Amino acid sequence: MELTGEVVINAARTRVWIALNDPAVLTACIPGCEAVEQVGPLEKTARMLVKVGPVRAKFSGRILMSDVVESERCAMTFEGSGGAAGMARGRSQVELSDEGESTRLHYTVQASVAGKLGLVGGRMIDGAAKQMADQFFNAFQLHLAPAQPDADKLPTESKAPGAAQVQPLVTHSRSEDMTVAGATVTQQPTSKLTDDMEWLRVKWFAMGVLATAIGVWLGAQL
Amino acid sequence: MKSAAFDYVKPAAMAELFELLQSHGDDARILAGGQTLLATLNMRLSEPKLVIDITGLQELRGIHQVGDRLYIGALTTHTEIENSALVSQHAPMLTMAAPHIAHRAIRNSGTWGGSIAYGDPAAEWPCCLCAMDGHVHLQSPNGSRKISATDFFIDLYTTALAPDEVVVGADVPLASQADWFAFDELARRHGDYAVAGLAVAASFTGKVAQRVNLAFLGIGTIPWRARRTEALLVGKTLDLATVEIAVASLKAELDPLPDLTHTPETKRHLATVLARRLLSAAHANRSAIAV
Repeated sequence: MELTGEVVINAARTRVWIALNDPAVLTACIPGCEAVEQVGPLEKTARMLVKVGPVRAKFSGRILMSDVVESERCAMTFEGSGGAAGMARGRSQVELSDEGESTRLHYTVQASVAGKLGLVGGRMIDGAAKQMADQFFNAFQLHLAPAQPDADKLPTESKAPGAAQVQPLVTHSRSEDMTVAGATVTQQPTSKLTDDMEWLRVKWFAMGVLATAIGVWLGAQL
Repeated sequence: MKSAAFDYVKPAAMAELFELLQSHGDDARILAGGQTLLATLNMRLSEPKLVIDITGLQELRGIHQVGDRLYIGALTTHTEIENSALVSQHAPMLTMAAPHIAHRAIRNSGTWGGSIAYGDPAAEWPCCLCAMDGHVHLQSPNGSRKISATDFFIDLYTTALAPDEVVVGADVPLASQADWFAFDELARRHGDYAVAGLAVAASFTGKVAQRVNLAFLGIGTIPWRARRTEALLVGKTLDLATVEIAVASLKAELDPLPDLTHTPETKRHLATVLARRLLSAAHANRSAIAV
């Protein structure tokens, strides 16, 4: 199975990077995700309930990151096991680039499935993977968009000037999202020094989470 | 392999079914013919706490003509549809499609409503319903509603069915003299999931096509209506040149999803093979009538 996709996310690149690495954001956005945990600096585990058609399988996955360039790209390898249902493993690359004031996220996933999932789900793996990816990015957009009014209140924020300008009109709905996303954003503007420190830490974290996310899709695609 | 343990209930009335659905939510699965659900349970791809067997609900059975539509109850089996005189008279496409559904044993148990509620992109009934502009009938504790099949199927295994709703049946328009139907699919072996399939619901005035609905199965995540090519064919005489135009248009319009063994190009090619076959058959049929 090979999946390639591109999404334009309505926020500055650095914000997208942070959000992609925030386990709270990922847990909320990945369809069926129950938990994302940090196991080592480059390693994460994730648990999710995959619901595709008649399949309701609990997956646990491991994601290992490599080639990390902060706010730009990373690669990850993952392995997901769905118990009796089967397993999936593969590799993924994610790249971020500027698109005006927004961010273009390009991803590729190569994966293979084994076990009953391969037998039963092989026919629909591509469709399911696309569906999961779409659900994730829709939720991810929603997460970033409602956070922007918060960003507006913080004129000192130098890292993501774009974010303040992008669609401040999206004030609507989803109060739970607001709180989670708001919490994420308030991390960065504190001060520039701590900001940089935070970045380093967050970068690894972020990569892990992204990796987890992709791993989770993989699991999900089955 | 056997399924994980689950509770089993067989309600005797719709009200009881709705009560169970409301109290158990996503932990409950509805069992109709069981041709998908039981396999999924036995493979432990799904472990619901409760299985609700609806086969005791007589109101979900039967095939009736209602006004200018043919209504088929959800629990009607594929075999009953295949053998129904009423169906072959009023909805011949269903009679043509039925033999393509898996194997005899599965057709004897599997149901019309089960296939529709499941919404497999390679399933025959959803594709036929979309081609014929059928309606799906849904019921919930709050009442009944009808929804057009093309609106009912939303995404891969995702339908407009609400959590507290059940599919009680679906109807299709009665066939008239002007109508022409065809159904065919390509599978590695008969009864396998089709790689590609096509249902054509057309109506003609003489040799001129007034409507040519083309619904493909196995191509997208839901039955794929080729709207652009359909529009191209309206008002045309379906001669062989027009068929080639339609095939060329389909090549540009169809964007199939691959599976583990077939690339999008393979699927696109097979879809156009079917289109050429069925539209040529339509041409031959209309020429014979006109002569």
